[in-house]
Amino acid sequence: MESVLDQGNTTFLLISAAFVLLMTPGLAFFYGGMVKAKSVVSMMMLSFGSLGLVGVLWVLYGYAIAFADGPSEVNGGEQFVGIDGWFGIDLAKIGLGQPFADATNGATAFPELGFVAFQATFAIITVALISGAIADRAKFGAWMVFAGLWATFVYFPVANWVFNFDLGEGGVVDGGWIAYDLGAIDFAGGTAVHINAGAAGLALAIVLGKRFGFSKGITQPHNVPLTLLGVSLLWFGWFGFNAGSELAADGIAAIAFINTLAAPAAAMLGWIIVEYFKHGKATSIGAGSGAVAGLVAITPACASVSPMYAMLLGVIAGVLCALAVDLKFSFGFDDSLDVVGIHLVGGIVGTLFIGFFGEGVGSAFGFGWDQLVAQAIGAGAVLVYSFVLALIIGFAIDKTIGFRVKAEDEIAGIDTVVHGEEAYAFGADRG
Amino acid sequence: MQSDSTVAFLIICSAMVLFMTPGLAFFYGGLVRASSVVSMMMMSFGSVGLVGTLWVVYGYAMSFAGATNAGFIGLDGIFGLDPAKLLLASSYQSASDGNGFDLVFAGFQGTFAIITVALISGAIADRARFGGWMIFAALWATFAYFPIAGWVFNFTVEEGAVVDGGFLVFNFGLMDFAGGTVVEVASGAAALAVALVVGRRFGFAKGMHAPHNVPLTLIGAAILWFGWFGFNAGSQLAADGTAALAFVNTLVAPVGALISWSLYERFTVGKPTAVGAASGAVSGLVAITPSCAYLHPVWALVLGLLVGTICALAVELKWKLGFDDSLDVVGIHLVGGIVGTLFIGLAGEKVGLFFTGDPTQLGRQAAGVAIVGIWSFSVAWLSAMLVQKTFGFRVKSTDEIAGVDRVIHGETAYSETDPRWTWRGSNYIAEPR
Repeated sequence: MESVLDQGNTTFLLISAAFVLLMTPGLAFFYGGMVKAKSVVSMMMLSFGSLGLVGVLWVLYGYAIAFADGPSEVNGGEQFVGIDGWFGIDLAKIGLGQPFADATNGATAFPELGFVAFQATFAIITVALISGAIADRAKFGAWMVFAGLWATFVYFPVANWVFNFDLGEGGVVDGGWIAYDLGAIDFAGGTAVHINAGAAGLALAIVLGKRFGFSKGITQPHNVPLTLLGVSLLWFGWFGFNAGSELAADGIAAIAFINTLAAPAAAMLGWIIVEYFKHGKATSIGAGSGAVAGLVAITPACASVSPMYAMLLGVIAGVLCALAVDLKFSFGFDDSLDVVGIHLVGGIVGTLFIGFFGEGVGSAFGFGWDQLVAQAIGAGAVLVYSFVLALIIGFAIDKTIGFRVKAEDEIAGIDTVVHGEEAYAFGADRG
Repeated sequence: MQSDSTVAFLIICSAMVLFMTPGLAFFYGGLVRASSVVSMMMMSFGSVGLVGTLWVVYGYAMSFAGATNAGFIGLDGIFGLDPAKLLLASSYQSASDGNGFDLVFAGFQGTFAIITVALISGAIADRARFGGWMIFAALWATFAYFPIAGWVFNFTVEEGAVVDGGFLVFNFGLMDFAGGTVVEVASGAAALAVALVVGRRFGFAKGMHAPHNVPLTLIGAAILWFGWFGFNAGSQLAADGTAALAFVNTLVAPVGALISWSLYERFTVGKPTAVGAASGAVSGLVAITPSCAYLHPVWALVLGLLVGTICALAVELKWKLGFDDSLDVVGIHLVGGIVGTLFIGLAGEKVGLFFTGDPTQLGRQAAGVAIVGIWSFSVAWLSAMLVQKTFGFRVKSTDEIAGVDRVIHGETAYSETDPRWTWRGSNYIAEPR
C-alpha cells in the first residue's frame, strides 16, 4: 500500500497533544495558587491524580468507548457492542490494539495513535477541571474513585456524542448523536469538556457542601504568581487544544489559533472592567480568570467565527463570567474556584454564540434559528446528563467511603492530613 | 533529503528538550532547602551554558564521528573525533546548501548532552561548590557522555538494519531508542560516584531535608514531561507512526508509574504525596525512554506500573547503604534506566523473551547497561576525585549548614529575611517593627 502519511500534519498533531497535556499541570497551578497554603498540595494532587488515573483508563478502555463506531458507519467497527452514536464500545480498540497494529502502515494522513494521544489529553483535563469545585475539603481517595467513575460513565460516552464523527460530502455523514443526528457545532469541546466539567463541578459542590467560613473574601489566594503561571500554561496549551482539533495545519487551524488569541484577550479586558466598576480595582486573579473564561467560550466556536466576532464573544464571556462567579454567594453553593461560573457559564455562552454569529449558520446572518436550537439542545443534554450522573456518583461515594475530610482536619489544613506533606518550608526556623 | 516537515518536527522537539533542563532545575530546586535553591538551579543552568558550548566546539564531532568520515581520528565505534564536524562546520555547510536536517540534528542531540550532565547534579544538593561542579561537568561530558552517545546514538541504517555505528548499537545489537543507557544509566551511575566522593550532608537522615517548595517541584515535573515528548518522539527523527507510538508510550508509562508510586506510598506510609506522584511520573518517563518505540502501549503501561514501585523501593536504598544521593538520581534514573532497558529484552515487540522465548536480546540489553554504567561510574569517580583533591568539590561545613546560596552565589532565593515580614503559621504576616 502506498503511504499517504503527511509528516507536517503528524508533527502538528503530536506537538498539539504535548501542548494539551501541559494544560493539566497548568490547571493544577492555576487552582493551587488560589487555595490556602495548607491545601495547595491537595489541590494540585487532584489534577495530577486525574492525570494518572484517566491516562490509564484511556488506554485500557476509554478510547474504545469514546471512539466506538457502530457497524453501519463509514468507518464501521466490526467488534462494536452497544447503541450506535449513544453508548458503545469497540472491542478492537481495547488496550489500543487496533491503533497499535495500524501505527506504521502509513495508510492515513496521520497515525491513529497520534489522535489517541491527543484525545487522551482532553479526557484528562476535563476530569481535572471538576476538582476546582471541591477545594480545601476533599479526600484524595474519594476523588480518585469519583474521577474513575465519572470518566467512565460520563466523559467517555459524551466524547463519543461530540467528537466521534466522520466527514464526507456535505458535512458530517456519521457519528455520535450530537455531532451527527443533531448537527450541533462544537469544534474543540465547549459541551464535551467545559459544560460537562462545569455541570459535574456544580453537582460535587452540592454533594460536599460549603467550606467552613464560606463567605466572600474569606479565602484569599495564597500564591498569585503560581496562579498566573498556571493561566499562562493553560493559554499556551489551549492553542494546541483548539488549533489542534482541526487535526491538520491548515487555514481552519489558523482561524482557530487566532481566535484563541483574540477571545481571551478581549475577555480579560471585559473581566477587569467589570471588576473596576464593581470594586474600583482590577486584580491579577481577575485578569487570569478573564483569560480563562475567554478561552472556554472560544473553545466550541473557534473555527466558526471571524476574529471580530471572537472578540465580541470574548467580551461577552468575560463580563458574564465575572458576574456569574458571584452567583455562588447568592445561591450558597461553594464552587470554590469557580468551575461553574467560568466553565459551565463560559461553555454555554460559547456554544450558543455559534447559533447567533457562526459563519454560515448564525441567525444574525439570516440563517434562521435551527442552529441555535441544535446548540441549545446539545448544551442542555450534556449539562443535564453530566449533572445528574455526577450527583449520583458523588452521593454514592459520600454515603459509603465519605467524600469530605473531618471538620478539624479541614480547619487545620488538609495537606498534612491527606498527603503527609507541607507545600512550603520557609522561614528562619525551617531554612 | 529530509522534507521541511521533518525539519519542523525536529526543531520543535529540540526546543522542547532544551526546556527540560530548566524544568529539571525547578524539579530539583523545589526539593532542596530554601537556602540552597539558587545553587541547585545554577548547577542545571551552568550545564546548559557549559555543555552547550562544548557540544558546539567538539562534542558533536566526538559523538557523531566514524571511520567512514574522511579525516577520522581514533578507534572506530569507540572513541574518536571527526575534525570536519568541529564547530558544526559540515552541518552548517549542508544547511547553507539548503538541507537543514544535519544542523538541527546537531542541535537536538546537543540538548540531550546538556540534560544528561544536569541530571547528575541532584546527587550533590546543598553542598557542592559551583566551580568544582563546572569542572566536573566538563570532564564527565568529554570523557563519558560524548563517547557514550557515539556508542548508542551514532549509527547508519540501511533497509531496516544497522550497518555501521557505535559498538554498542552496531556490534552488540543494543536497542535503546531515546537514551535509557546513554542518558539515564550514565547520569545515574555518575551520580552514585559523585555522591560517594562528595560525601553525606550534615544531618543526612530520613526526613531531615523536607522539600521547601512543592509547587516548584511539580512545575519542574510538568515541564520535564512536556519536554520528554520531544525527547522520545523526536528521537524517531521523523513525524511518522513510530513517533506516534513513542509519543503515546511517553504518556502511558508515566501515568502508570504515577499511579503505582502513589499506591505504594498509600499502602506503606499511608499517604500518597505530591513529591511521590511527581517522582513516579519521572521514573515512568525514565523507563520508557529506551523502550518507547519497541513496546505495545499495554506493555508500556505494565512497565510504568512496575517501575513506579521498583523506584519507590529503590530510593530507600540510600538510607540503608548510607550514600547521600540527595535527590534520588540513582534511585530514579539509574534504576529506572536499567529497568526500562532490560524490559525491551522481555516484552519488546518481535524481540522480547515473552514473545520469542529467546533471551539473546535480554543479554544484549544487560551488556549495554553494564558497559555504560561501569564506564560512566569510573569516569565520574576519577573526575570527581580529581576535582576534590585539587580545587575542592565541597563547601566548608559552616557554609553548608548556613546554606550555600549566599556563600556561593551571593544571592538568596527569597527575601524571607525582610524584617518587615514574619513567618506566622502558614503565612507571612506584615508586622511593623
